[in-house]
Amino acid sequence: MSRHSYPALTRRMFILGSGAALGTSALPMALRAAVPADSAMAVVAFDGDALLAAGSNLIRSEDNGKSWTALPVPAAILGLATHPAQPGHLFAGLASGGVVLSQDGGRSWETRSRGLAEGEVDAVAVAAGQPDMFYAAVRGDGLWKSEDAGGNWSLAIDRPWLEDAERDPLALASVDLATGMGGIWIYAGTPAGLTRVPDCFCRWQDVQPGDAMDALVAGDTPPSEAPLPRSEPVRALASALSAPETLYAALPSGVWTSRDGGVVWSHVAQGSASAVAVHPADEKRLIAALDGVLKLSRDGGANWTTLAVA
Amino acid sequence: MTRKLIIIASATVTSLVAIAALAQQQDHDASAEGLTVLGEPVTMEEIAVGRQLYAESCASCHGANLEGQADWKRRLDNGRMPAPPHDETGHTWHHSDQDLFTITKNGVEAVVPGYESDMPAFEGTLDDAEIRAVLAYIKSTWPERQRTFQAKVTANDEDRS
Ligand code: HEC
Repeated sequence: MSRHSYPALTRRMFILGSGAALGTSALPMALRAAVPADSAMAVVAFDGDALLAAGSNLIRSEDNGKSWTALPVPAAILGLATHPAQPGHLFAGLASGGVVLSQDGGRSWETRSRGLAEGEVDAVAVAAGQPDMFYAAVRGDGLWKSEDAGGNWSLAIDRPWLEDAERDPLALASVDLATGMGGIWIYAGTPAGLTRVPDCFCRWQDVQPGDAMDALVAGDTPPSEAPLPRSEPVRALASALSAPETLYAALPSGVWTSRDGGVVWSHVAQGSASAVAVHPADEKRLIAALDGVLKLSRDGGANWTTLAVA
Repeated sequence: MTRKLIIIASATVTSLVAIAALAQQQDHDASAEGLTVLGEPVTMEEIAVGRQLYAESCASCHGANLEGQADWKRRLDNGRMPAPPHDETGHTWHHSDQDLFTITKNGVEAVVPGYESDMPAFEGTLDDAEIRAVLAYIKSTWPERQRTFQAKVTANDEDRS
């Protein structure tokens, strides 16, 4: 089912409205307050060692958050993805619709939306093993893919169906774990929890404990499960390229982590989390937006330091 | 000029003979181009049986030419997915022989627990040999790339179990 009209104005206006506040605070370099990251701060990412945080604005730090540069964006950014094989390449989904690519770390942008459906792009991802394979979730429409870094887009599959309704992915992550179908998984966070689809796009499905069916058949105790809290939206998702079974998720209750591809989750940070990203080469190094501020962790989320503009 | 023509002419004769021999060899129980289902070689006869069974049991949803339901990447109003193509434009060739067999016999839920789908389970309608024949027919329509990919998926699946 595709949608033809959508009452998205409230959310978008909210993002733009609070983004204006971010713009003023991110630009002057003399600010001493913590870097504000309220709902306007929709996404965070690593570009190699550089830190990125984006919403109505984009800020970039080359020194672990000690100093920040504000960079122009074509429109408010809802989804942001990078790949270590393409340093300086930022792939972003826009609140105004469409996707853009920067090849210079966010200084300039070009539109890469040919063939893509119209509508807000809530989430984007770059395939773990194929830096030219891009995915984009178009609000009210479905999951799209491009095999040539955004040159051309085609529909991959409709939106996931969870709890009796179609749900918009709010977050996407390419997770380099084998599906048994000759490819890897794409995980999606939605307003109704976590789901995933193989990259052959045969069907959206729940995360299942790997050997649950075998265990049932053999009469053994099935492996334990500890899913994310069902009632909460999954606003951001990150899979560590260096250890793909390690996942992080940002929820209103905080940051959660899984060490087994999403079967067993544990709660590592309290507070309302709106964004989380993991370093491409170090699965313990995180950046998150928690309770409206940016925070860094170097130990998988056990300890956090609040980032401030010096 | 003349010599070249002669070479071409005799080459044509040779290949015609080769084709005739091949056709004879593929009659009835001869195996079909190295194709297997669940590890067993597929015969031309099996493919013919499978083609017939496909037309009777699968074509109504998956299309007479394996093209799938219209707009098959979009959900139906009931929230379920339409029947995908079984030719190379679909994703059937991403599944191992065992998964294809299980899905056909017991439905999609048998490989994705809890999944709701309009794909019927054919257990009780088709016996195992008939399911095998339908899959043999479907596989026989795939181009080389899809066959090779699916053979690898099947081999990996066998390694796991
Ligand atoms: C009543 C309609 C219907 C009939 C008849 C039917 N199918 Fe299906 N089939 C479906 C639907 C719908 C799906 C997609 C299920 C989903 O993803 O929710 C499907 C999916 C499948 C799949 C999984 C494909 C993939 O790549 O995931 C296989 C294999 C399959 N069918 C085989 C068959 C075979 C073989 C027959 C005939 C013996 C058959 N089907 C007859 C409706 C049908």
